[in-house]
Amino acid sequence: MSCRRLKVWLSERYDIEALGNLARFKTVPSHRFDAWYFAGGLTLFLFVFQFITGMALALYYVPHAEHAHKSIIDIVTKLNMGWLFRSLHHWGAQLTILVLFVHVFSALLLKAYRKPRELVWLTGFVMLAISIFFGLSGYFLLWDERAFAAVRVATGGAGNLPLIGWLIKGFLRGGLDVTGETLTRFYAFHVAILPLVTIVVTGLHILLVQLHGMSVPLSQEEKQGRPEPFFPNLFYKDLIVWLICLGVVVTLAVLFPPEIGRKADPLAPAPENIKPEWYFLFLFQTLKLFPGEILGMNGETIAIVIISAAILFFFLIPFFDRRSAMERKSPLFTWIGVFYLVYFTLMTVIGFLT
Amino acid sequence: MLSMFLIVFFLLIGATMLPAAEPKIEVFAAAPYDRHIIYQALVLFWIGIIGLVVIIAMKLREIKRIQDMGIDEEEKDAPFLD
Repeated sequence: MSCRRLKVWLSERYDIEALGNLARFKTVPSHRFDAWYFAGGLTLFLFVFQFITGMALALYYVPHAEHAHKSIIDIVTKLNMGWLFRSLHHWGAQLTILVLFVHVFSALLLKAYRKPRELVWLTGFVMLAISIFFGLSGYFLLWDERAFAAVRVATGGAGNLPLIGWLIKGFLRGGLDVTGETLTRFYAFHVAILPLVTIVVTGLHILLVQLHGMSVPLSQEEKQGRPEPFFPNLFYKDLIVWLICLGVVVTLAVLFPPEIGRKADPLAPAPENIKPEWYFLFLFQTLKLFPGEILGMNGETIAIVIISAAILFFFLIPFFDRRSAMERKSPLFTWIGVFYLVYFTLMTVIGFLT
Repeated sequence: MLSMFLIVFFLLIGATMLPAAEPKIEVFAAAPYDRHIIYQALVLFWIGIIGLVVIIAMKLREIKRIQDMGIDEEEKDAPFLD
């Protein structure tokens, strides 16, 4: 069937003309900060990249406490290009979370969350949370002693939340402690539950972005240039960014393949100088700031409550920033955004260096 | 003498219980030839990426030039040639 006949066949059954028109007439605002729009497309590209490399690894990974570690060693040492796929998946995950942070902070500082885009912000934030959980669950699948200790600390931290902490901890661990049950559970999260939720939330996020169009910062509304057509102009620019990103991921994967530690032993003590993944360092460092006991209460519980409140405020920021909702400048929320960004960066750097 | 014997005995027993030093798992090709091939492939990969980026950038430039001239609009009454 020729391409033209296929097009006719499809158009007789579906309104493909509408899709064509959407691509043809969709425009993107042009202004001083429009480069930040690329972070969204790049995140989508990296998600697809993670799905592909993850599917390849899932063909050989064995989600059982006895065999998980060995199956990864086999993937890396015995399979043709197995080391490359594992390394690509590892570095793809790091870059996905990094680009998501950039995307979230740029949306925060450019006030892209303001009315009527509150749901775009909320779905984007949920995607960041999912990605971090993706990272944690994927890290645990290694079943080495560092991953084991990291998950024990992370789930233990969640358990310190008042009222519902015990429930979250039990649900994540699948028991009282981190065991083979936890591995099965994290595997289910990593390869089935989280991808499904990601597809739904990402689909909703993209749909909302199409519905509302791209947000223009308040300061740039009067200084906009001529809107650029999405297809082909922005699409080609996106392609260039994706290609360069692909090059960076492959280079990192080849030059810095991730190590595999010793197999986890649930009865062994945690290894010394253990550090969480970089995106948990700010939490790790914040917990260190609190003493063991404050006014007779557990210091860690207080720290977790404060951190949770700060994250909840961040999540609900479109509903607190009333001035932006009324299309007025809100310097207070710009400073709050800057504070969040500086705090996150500073704590991550300190956690990395110490 | 007995205490010396016991010390040596328990030292030996303890030594047998020590875990053997595990060899580091190779996560990258160990043979210099394989490494060379991989690095060579990486360089070729980057040449391909740069080539594609240049082609897309040239194409984009051409599209912009046509758009600026205003001749990218589709003519509704143009005769259809099949």
